[in-house]
Amino acid sequence: MTWLFMLALLGGQAEPSEAMQHVQAGLMARQQHQVDVEIDEFSKAIELDPNLADAFVNLGAAYMEKHDYGAAIAPCKHALELSPDLAAAHQLLGFALLAQGYAIEAIPHLEKVGAQDALAIAQLETGRLTEAVANFNVALAKRPSDPDLLYYLGHASGLLSKSAIDTLIAQFPDSARAHQALAENYFALRQMPQAEKEYLEAIRLRPELPNLHLELDQVYANSAQWPKAEEEFRAETKLQPGKAEAAYRLGNAYLQQGKAHDALAELKRSDALRPEMAETLYSLGKAASLAGPSETSTAERAWLKVLELERTSSLAAQSHFALAGLYRKQGNTAKAQHEMQEFQKLQSTIGPPHSE
Amino acid sequence: MVGKVTRRNFLSLAGLAAAAPIFQVKLPHGIDFILQNSPTPRKFLIETMPGGVALFDYNNDGLLDIFLVNGGRITENLHVPEQFERSNPRYWNRLYRHNRDGSFSDVTQAAGLANAGNGNYGMGVAVGDYDNDGYPDLYVTSYGKNILYHNNGDGTFTDVTAKAGVAGGGWSVSAGFFDYDNDGHLDLFVTRYMDWDADHNKICGGDWHTYCPPSAFPATTCLLYRNRGDGTFEDVSERSGITAKKGRALGVSFADYDGDGFTDIFVSNDGMQQYLFHNNGNGTFTECAMESGTALTSDGKGLSGMGTVFQDYDNDGRPDLIVTVLPRELFAVFHNEGTGSFSYQSLETGVGAMTSLSSGWGVGLEDFDNDGWKDLFVAQSHVLDNVQKIDASLTYKQLPLVAMNHGGHFERADSGVTTPLAARGAAFGDINNDGCIDVVLAILGGPPVLLLNRAGSGNHWLSITLRGTRSNRDGYGARVFVNGQTRIATSSGSYNCANDKRLHFGLGSADKATIEILWPSGAKQVMNDAGANQFLEIREPEQL
Repeated sequence: MTWLFMLALLGGQAEPSEAMQHVQAGLMARQQHQVDVEIDEFSKAIELDPNLADAFVNLGAAYMEKHDYGAAIAPCKHALELSPDLAAAHQLLGFALLAQGYAIEAIPHLEKVGAQDALAIAQLETGRLTEAVANFNVALAKRPSDPDLLYYLGHASGLLSKSAIDTLIAQFPDSARAHQALAENYFALRQMPQAEKEYLEAIRLRPELPNLHLELDQVYANSAQWPKAEEEFRAETKLQPGKAEAAYRLGNAYLQQGKAHDALAELKRSDALRPEMAETLYSLGKAASLAGPSETSTAERAWLKVLELERTSSLAAQSHFALAGLYRKQGNTAKAQHEMQEFQKLQSTIGPPHSE
Repeated sequence: MVGKVTRRNFLSLAGLAAAAPIFQVKLPHGIDFILQNSPTPRKFLIETMPGGVALFDYNNDGLLDIFLVNGGRITENLHVPEQFERSNPRYWNRLYRHNRDGSFSDVTQAAGLANAGNGNYGMGVAVGDYDNDGYPDLYVTSYGKNILYHNNGDGTFTDVTAKAGVAGGGWSVSAGFFDYDNDGHLDLFVTRYMDWDADHNKICGGDWHTYCPPSAFPATTCLLYRNRGDGTFEDVSERSGITAKKGRALGVSFADYDGDGFTDIFVSNDGMQQYLFHNNGNGTFTECAMESGTALTSDGKGLSGMGTVFQDYDNDGRPDLIVTVLPRELFAVFHNEGTGSFSYQSLETGVGAMTSLSSGWGVGLEDFDNDGWKDLFVAQSHVLDNVQKIDASLTYKQLPLVAMNHGGHFERADSGVTTPLAARGAAFGDINNDGCIDVVLAILGGPPVLLLNRAGSGNHWLSITLRGTRSNRDGYGARVFVNGQTRIATSSGSYNCANDKRLHFGLGSADKATIEILWPSGAKQVMNDAGANQFLEIREPEQL
């Protein structure tokens, strides 16, 4: 509604002619949300003074207010014929055209007034994705909590990404990156055999590319082929020994196979590479717990650290639950009960326990 | 060409031998049963849940007979009150008498077990000698009413449900006989899945059009009937504390997990926490799964609990729990720590790594190779018959899981089944009395599959039949120790099924066994130097 506020100021600056009096009456009616009266008053003002650009633009605004975008277009255009630099008319016309699906026609008007949010939408509609993403980012910097803007930015970025991938696959179909992109698509569609095939081809073409093994491993993890997953993660950790995520995932692959000590070593390495990651610490606790009584204190420390980092998340709830089990096993009933209470408290706020 | 066996190549040959299938798949002569689950486009949830099998010796001739529970006819226009056309022989439950030559004869009609009532869609079966007359009786669960068949001892059964007062109602699934108050009379526990009827069925999955998850329907309570000892039962579900917890119960197993002399109840619930009802010894139970560590996974997440078994897998003398679940979860192994609590050990035992894509139903811990360690068997198949369209990494029909137990760690073995199955119930017993445990699977829309064990013949074994005198005649609830192993006497567990009540022990190379029995009455009985490879009946001493 920012444009309505601006138009009210414009009205307030008008000369007090009879036509302007109708404009003032129209603006009063706007304040009382009497849209039909508004339209009536602005129309009378136009009848009295057909050169009064303010009356045309306010009539357009009234139609906009009534969501009759088609009717708003003509008065706004007329206002611009009378006063080609009238910013309010450009803005309203841009909005009205965009709302009616005339995105191409809307763009010059929106550019003129720098209405980045609407301009970005128009650019998105017309396939100018790079500019759309840039303008959404500008608009979001001003209104970071606007869910519509967040949605549009995500949508535009996704389309931009897809467009780049489409170009990649069309122009370089035999490249490792094209196979990687196809593999990612298959993975998203849960078509694992095809995803595996494409990843393997990408690795064959460029074995040194980072993340390929990591992604292929996800395919194996999804189909519970843990020995294969372990192999791929190991390959990735060789390629990127400093990548905490690769170490974390390798640790988890070990964990799933019950290889407690290997899991513990890898998760400790991941924790050292990138400390204070709650997921890593939680898994580290599990691996330590699995490794036997000698690592109980490691498990306890890891889970307590998770609780320092996160107090109300599902991971926090899981850590309380894990600690309860650990204390129960130690025969420390009071501590076990306390952790169980904390777990149940969190469950009551974040929802009952569901299966994985 | 087979070369000379040297010490060096013996090891590789031994490896090959170890990899041989555990079972031989058989369709026994004389069994013509097809489990009619009658799937429809309306995806009535009951369609995907039946499949009960009982292995029991109804005529006491020493051979295990097979009772198979049928579903019923479902049409697309099914409405309350539902009719399932059970009077048509195609939809009967069936009793097959085991003949001396290994074949089976259909004795359903002669035994009085035909037509389970048109209003009942069959689910599972429990076996127990509730009146201690020496003949095993049958309890058949259904969506609708359950039926108690008294074994008359002359090859026939009589429907005594009304007199006994155990018809239940709603949607019953697994059931089991046990003696919760140690009065010598078998009581009865019945799981009920949810509050469902045909008029309140839902279809889920959007365009995939599939069965709904359990959370789409209201939870309900289980049933506990106390045996009065006069042929009638009293519904003590509420008084005992069982109805204090609503759930979505599918499986049930029994064991005295804390050694206080009273049998406890574990209930596997679908899509939520599991329940462990601790027997307070005064006729009441306290649900303590959360406190005991058997409610959730180690991550504090619920389980799609289906089947369950309550036996000691690591030979520490304490009964442990295994619960079968759906994919993306792991079959849960709850290890009994001996302090009244359990620890989740799916990963430690190797079960987790084998089962993250598995959908498990019937489950047993049986020593298939007679090496003295109970192995794991699970009947597998997804709930959703179109799951592969929804998730290409999953399949509806699956091979059964057999995992051999090596000192408490399980490793996958070849079951011998090569065709994936839509298996539900799995019942365990020594069908051909060769000293090896066999399996019978209930298959949706198909004939039962008999898996004859061919793995354990090299090792010694012992099979014990308990004959209670002061305890219930079946000895259910007794704790039996043989050469460092423990079994809880029960025919319950698995899913929808009743197992051979004989207690089977693999003895490895030992040709003698020391047997110790803790009877539910409190009596303790010890037998030394029992010979291996025999079926032994042990009678409870009349006096303490």
